[in-house]
This record gives sequence, C-alpha cells and structure tokens, in this order.
Amino acid sequence: MPVSANTMPFGSGALRRWIPLLSISLPLLGWLIFSFGPSAATIFYSLTQYSGEPGTPLNFSGLHNYVQAFSTLLPELRSTIVVTLKFTIGVTVIQNVIGLLLALLLNRRLRAFAVYRAFVFLPQVLSVAVVASMFLLIFNPLTGPAEVIYHWVTGSSSSFFGSSRQALALVVLVNVWMYAGFTMMVYIAGFRNIPGDVYEAAAVDGCGRWRTFTGITWPLLAPATTVNVWLAAMGTLGQFQLILALTGGAENTQTIGMYMYSTAFGTSSQLGYGSMIAVLQFFLTLILGGLLLFLLRRREVQL
Amino acid sequence: MRTQSAIVTTGTAERRSPARGAHAGADQPGRLRTRGQALAARIGRLSLLHLLCIVVAVGVFGAPLIYILLVSFNTETGLLGNAWGWPSHFTFANYSAAWVQGDFFREILNSVLYAAVTDAVSLVLGVFLAFPVSRGYLRRSNLWYAFFIFSGFLPPALIPLFIEARWLHIYNNRLGYMLILSLQGAGFFFFVGYIKGIPREREEAAAIDGCSYIRFVFTILMREMKPALAAFAVFGFVGTWNLLILPIILLPKTSLFPVTRGLYSFFGSYQSNEPEIAAATIIVSLPLLVVFLVLQRYLVQGVAGGAMGVGMDKREGQT
Repeated sequence: MPVSANTMPFGSGALRRWIPLLSISLPLLGWLIFSFGPSAATIFYSLTQYSGEPGTPLNFSGLHNYVQAFSTLLPELRSTIVVTLKFTIGVTVIQNVIGLLLALLLNRRLRAFAVYRAFVFLPQVLSVAVVASMFLLIFNPLTGPAEVIYHWVTGSSSSFFGSSRQALALVVLVNVWMYAGFTMMVYIAGFRNIPGDVYEAAAVDGCGRWRTFTGITWPLLAPATTVNVWLAAMGTLGQFQLILALTGGAENTQTIGMYMYSTAFGTSSQLGYGSMIAVLQFFLTLILGGLLLFLLRRREVQL
Repeated sequence: MRTQSAIVTTGTAERRSPARGAHAGADQPGRLRTRGQALAARIGRLSLLHLLCIVVAVGVFGAPLIYILLVSFNTETGLLGNAWGWPSHFTFANYSAAWVQGDFFREILNSVLYAAVTDAVSLVLGVFLAFPVSRGYLRRSNLWYAFFIFSGFLPPALIPLFIEARWLHIYNNRLGYMLILSLQGAGFFFFVGYIKGIPREREEAAAIDGCSYIRFVFTILMREMKPALAAFAVFGFVGTWNLLILPIILLPKTSLFPVTRGLYSFFGSYQSNEPEIAAATIIVSLPLLVVFLVLQRYLVQGVAGGAMGVGMDKREGQT
C-alpha cells in the first residue's frame, strides 16, 4: 500500500482532498475522546493518588503506586496474578477442548443439528447478569439442585460460590458454559474450510478415524485453533463482569480486572491506585499475548 | 509443510493398510445382512447420535434456563422441599411481584433506547470511518488501520471514562451514556474488510453520475454492505443490551438503569426469594431470547463467517 492516498472520485478541486478527512473526522473525534483518550489517560492517572471525590486534588505522586504495589502490597498483587493466570488458562484450555468436542459432534449438515448448535450457542446471547443469577440459583447451597447432586456424589455439602476452594473452578465452568458455543462455531468454520478431497485421499489410503483426525483434521484446523486460543485467552484475561456478578471477587476469585474495579469503585475509591492496576493488566496482556502469538505462530508453521 | 505432513501420514497409513483392511472387512457384516437390517442398524446408530446431541444441547446448555423457568412458577416453600424445581402448584405471583418490585418495564424501555440509539449511531459513524480507510483515500491509510488495531490493546479505559464523564457533566445521564457508547468506534473493524470486497467501480460510476459523497454512502454503499450492516446491527444491539459494568459505573440513578443493571440490583435485594429472582431472570432474558429465536440462524452464521476477525465481547473487555 503506497503512502500517498488513492484519489477519491467525489467532489472537485480542494474539496476532493477534504472529503475523506471530513468523513472520518466525527467518528475519529469520538473515538479519541471516549476510547483512545481514556485508555491513554489511565497511564497518567496511575501516577497520581487521585481519590475521585469531587473537588479533591490529583495528588501527583510519580511512581509511588508502582513502588507500593511491588513492595508492601506485593502479596496482594501476587495472589491476584496467580488467580488471573489460573482463570485465563483454565478457561482457554477447557473452552477449547469442549468447543472442539462439540464441533466434532455437531458439525453435520442435517437440519436437526442446526437446532442443537443453536442451543449450545444460546448462552452467550444472554447477559452476564442473567447467567449469573441462573447459576447462583442452581448452586444455591440451600435450595439448588447442584447441592443435591454434590451431596449424592461426595456425601458432604458445599457452599459452592461461597467456598474459597471451589469458587474459582465454578466461575471457570460458568464462563466456559457461556462461550463454548462461540468456540464451537469457529472450529466448525475451520472444519468446513478443509477441502474434502484430502479426506477422500485419506479414505483411499485406509486411514482410520483417529489417524485421519490426528494426521489431517487437527493440523489443517490450526488457523481456527489459533483464533480460538487467542480470543479465549485475551478475552478472559481482563474479564471480570462474570466474577463481579458471581462472587464479587471474594473467595479467591479476584482477578486483575476485578482487583482494578474493586480498588477504584469499591469502598475505598482509589482511582489512582486502580489505574496503576489497569496499567499492570496492560503489561500482563502484552506479555501473555506476545507469548501466545509466538507459540501459536510457531505451532502453525510446524504443523 | 502441510503437504509434507500429509505425505508422512499417508506413508504410515499405507504401511498399516493390510491390517486395517482385514479389520475393516470384519467390521462390515452388512453384506451378510439384508438391506433392511442394515438400514435399521443405521437408523439405530443415528438415533443414538441424536440422543447424545439432545442430552448435550438440552441437558447441558438448555438445562439452566429450564430450571429457572420451573422455579419461577414455584413458591418459596415449595422450593425448599424439592431442589429440582418442579412446582407443586403453578403460580404466576412471582412474575407480577417481580414486575412491580423490579420496575422492569421502565428498565426494558431504557435498555431498548440505549441499545437502539447506540447501534444506529455507531453503525453510521463506523461506515464513514471505515470507507476512506479501507479504500486508501487517506494518506497512510494502513498506518491508521494499524493504529486502531493497536489501540484495542491499551489499558482498560474504565477509570478515566468515569472521571471524564463527571467532568463533562454526562455522568448519570441518559444522553451522555448513549453518547459515550455510540462514539467508542465499534463497527469499524466489522466494516473495513467487507468494504474491500466491494468493487471500486461503484463509487466511480456514482461520481460520474453526479452523486454526492454523502448520498453515495447512504444509498449505494450501505445497500452493498447490507449483510455486514445487519450482522453488526444484531451484535451491536445484543452487546449494548448486555453491558453490566459500564451502567454500574456511569448510571447510578435507579430510574436510568438498563435492565441488566436492574437484575443485578434485584438479585442483591431479594436474595432470599428464589422464585421471584427466577421470574425476574426470565423477564430480563425474554427480550433477548425472542431476538435470538427470530435471528438465530443469522447470529450463528455471523459468528461462523465473520468471527475469524473480531471477538464478540471486545468492548466490555476493553473498557
């Protein structure tokens, strides 16, 4: 693509050069004010002790928040990052395994399968608020059916989302339940991009089902896997709406996004410190995203 | 690389083929049977497959909704005795109580307003932004594109957005909330790729005929972009409808709540009344269930076709 612009056929003379700029001016301005600007401003606010109370000063404090995060408040930050990684890796792995299994099961052209797929796809259309209240009722320790099953299997009772040992796993499960349909659809799109004659060749060579899958389907599915792993990991890393609605960040479910939210908008309202956590989240995204991109690319080349 | 692995595969398969062949022969008793028996076996296998699919689709992905529906017709005391939700006698009392206590009518109206306005404005702005960038009518169009992509990875904008909204006096304000959501630049990524597929002759012919730029965008370009616009309209509407964090932060006044925010509060206030919460959950999910039922095919295909680029929940993750 050349640096100079293609000529726009509309208008004449000077207007011709201005039309493209006028066209993008309003959306660009809006994006600068409400998207890019605030994102960049996070870095600025992370250098202050701003409390957010109207009329209070910014209290510029340099790197004080960062120093504090890595010294006195390090244990808090460390456990947050551990929870974030557990949450992200858990969702990414489980969602991809389940999404792939669902795709294998439901990728058929019969009409009935379109209905099954619709069921699997449905949850992500529902709001997080709806999904959360559904699962809080199901996992209600007193009246929920999950309690009956749990009691029947283990012989003991559990407080589920109120249990510091199980809450995170349950949040992962709900997250997977909600978005597995999306992962499935991307895998199905990937299946349908594989040319049919490859399978014919495999059938002629007498490949069994398992060999066909490991030898042909899985490697040729690499682009879909890349998209799915990338979207799941990047989408989950900063996600906290489901956590907010299910546990509020209690019971060892405080991910970095949740930590940012509760620091800024919880009882203490420390917008400066919260912004610092947002910047740390940005670096975490950068590191994990870079690593993933490197691994996924290398994997695609190897396959 | 791929061809190489394919060759390796066929190689190993050939080596194994005699054994496989024998196995396959033993696997095919169909020739010994009558055609009817083979057909019956096939139908049996097929219905077993369907059974498995139904268990997965309805039993796993539909069950929570079904359970909530059952509970919503139950009474509080009826629920204590049996956890599976089946009501001892059906009652609609939970719905009327939730409807009044939750003020859901006003909240649904709020949600419709927010989602529809935001959707329409961001769609039009998205086209006006995407068209010149996609066509390269700007200097360094690719740089612009890369810049927009990169900005999606910046730190979440949530806290400064809150500060900014108060500073601009658009905090706790219907119009301000819609303004913020409409102008965040959603739609751009949806459209750039699609516009590339529309032949350039369209605008050249239109310009020769004396069509103005704005008229061209609204009539000819948008007609060509119909599938992309429709997909964005649906996903944008659902996305705005489902936002939870932004309304919590930007709209604390109860009368401004969208319905998702309302349900979140409702859950907190009526925690011990499960049947009423279930009824409220059904009320809140009903509009979107209807949208899903009507546009189901479209939504699912939209993901299959277009999702290779953009995630669904980009905006909520970002802000």
